[in-house]
Amino acid sequence: MFYQTKFRSITLIAALIFLASYASFGSYFAREIVVEIIILAILAISLDLCAGFGGMVSLCHGAIMGVAAYAFAIMSAKLGWPLFPSALIGLLAAVVVSGLVGWVTARTNGIFFIMATLAFGQMAYTFFFKSRWLGGDDGMGGISRFDLSAIGLEMNNSLTFTYLGLGVLLLAYGLTAMVMRSGFGRTLSGIHVNEDRMKALGVNTAAHRAKAMAFSGFIAGLAGLIAAQHTLYISPELLIWTTSGEALIVVILGGLGTLVGPVIGAILLVLMKHEISDYTDYWHAFIGLVLIFTVLAGGRGVFGQIEYWLNSLRSRHHDPDNHQTAGKPQGGDHA
Amino acid sequence: MLEVKGLSKDFGGLHVIRDLSLSVTAGERRVILGPNGAGKTTLFHLLAGTLKPSKGEIFLDGQPIKAFDAVKRARLGIARSYQKNNLFETLTIRENLMLAAAAALGKSTHMVKDSSRHPDIRQRIDEIAEQVSLADQLDQTVGTASYGNRRQLEVGLALATRPKLLLMDEPTSGVGPTMIDRFHRLLEQLPRDITVLIIEHDMDLAFGVADRITVLNFGEKVFEGTPEDTRGNATVRDIYLGTGGYHA
Repeated sequence: MFYQTKFRSITLIAALIFLASYASFGSYFAREIVVEIIILAILAISLDLCAGFGGMVSLCHGAIMGVAAYAFAIMSAKLGWPLFPSALIGLLAAVVVSGLVGWVTARTNGIFFIMATLAFGQMAYTFFFKSRWLGGDDGMGGISRFDLSAIGLEMNNSLTFTYLGLGVLLLAYGLTAMVMRSGFGRTLSGIHVNEDRMKALGVNTAAHRAKAMAFSGFIAGLAGLIAAQHTLYISPELLIWTTSGEALIVVILGGLGTLVGPVIGAILLVLMKHEISDYTDYWHAFIGLVLIFTVLAGGRGVFGQIEYWLNSLRSRHHDPDNHQTAGKPQGGDHA
Repeated sequence: MLEVKGLSKDFGGLHVIRDLSLSVTAGERRVILGPNGAGKTTLFHLLAGTLKPSKGEIFLDGQPIKAFDAVKRARLGIARSYQKNNLFETLTIRENLMLAAAAALGKSTHMVKDSSRHPDIRQRIDEIAEQVSLADQLDQTVGTASYGNRRQLEVGLALATRPKLLLMDEPTSGVGPTMIDRFHRLLEQLPRDITVLIIEHDMDLAFGVADRITVLNFGEKVFEGTPEDTRGNATVRDIYLGTGGYHA
């Protein structure tokens, strides 16, 4: 179960300050990296909601993000709608598609859920890849940037854009954290742990899971909107299953079921990628090693492991005789 | 309150429940007795909606509920505690009760407020913890809790929904005499607006709490009556003590 502990709040704020400083003191390229981190972090938060709390390891989250980006681009660039309503349609499309996937897969678990979401994701990918009207594999340009000059923000300024992206990341985290500690979120954890008992308590677990997927789609949609606004160009690459796979790596690297972990994981993954690729083309191998180490070390992820150590220390300190509960993460392990 | 008419359940050629009729009045404590394999747990599955009957009808307060699934029946006020612990193992006892309380109070779909801080939910957790004697163990993870505590929580989860009809499947299975006494007191203190069906093997407990006793054997009702009548009944004695049957 999720608890917004002090340690999590502090870590999140520290991460945001780090990203803001990295962007403001760094070059244009540094800001590109930060935006890449923001998109990946939001997508990973959205996936953590499903996988970490609901036990629904989805391989279609990239596709859901892509659906939002495409819907937004279609409305604004193809149909000439204003940007704001187009963005709402983009989010709505992500919610509907994600909710539908959740509804259809609500009675599947484990490997079958993974395969079903993979299939849905690849269907969406193929659809956009083949669609001539939407540019097919060439992707789709002609998207215009939000004009926020009315409130004094110049969106074409890369630093302003990055700061705004950080704001959206905070929003995505805040919304997800709020929902995860609500009755809805805790019940989702309960369904993950023991679905039968949850039914016996009168909870319609299938509908609950579908709603969780729909909400997760909303968060993934935010990532899609930033992606479309960032490059003003989108391609089917967004929807391909490896995008979802990368988000899953980020969640596991940072800490499944922690919400802060995905943010840390995204920072680590993207920075490692850029730093190491300066020296070698085999940066994938290095990230692979880090991931294997993370999984073998207990599977708690970098953030999750640190949190685990801190909780162990704290409970030993408070209650030296009680070894039984020592090390129980107070803020929900995987559930 | 609960009316069962001509209920049957077959698994292939195996007749687990045969033409069973029951009538339980509101507030009654009904004990279901019977040797292993008599169909007691299957009866609970049929009442809770986790199994579909092959034949027959079930009425709750006059309403036919046979077509309803387990979720809908739970919402109508049927709660169940299990013979084998069926808990949220990786969560704490408090979190277990929190889930049950949130579901019962209609908060399990609320997306804004922190349910662990909700006053109604907290109050319900405290009440139930008091009732099932778990107030001092609330922050223990279920997976590391003692067997006795887990049995108590099993009943606590069912009670936390404030059911109209409580189905308790061997709440004292595997626990010692102290715990059995505690369950006895718990049952006596339960408000009379809860109707209780209880499968129980501890005879002192069964005879102590029952208003009426129904005895099943091979899926059929072989006897029904007050505890006094049951004690003196020859059929029941045969099933329990002799003639090649099981000893419970």
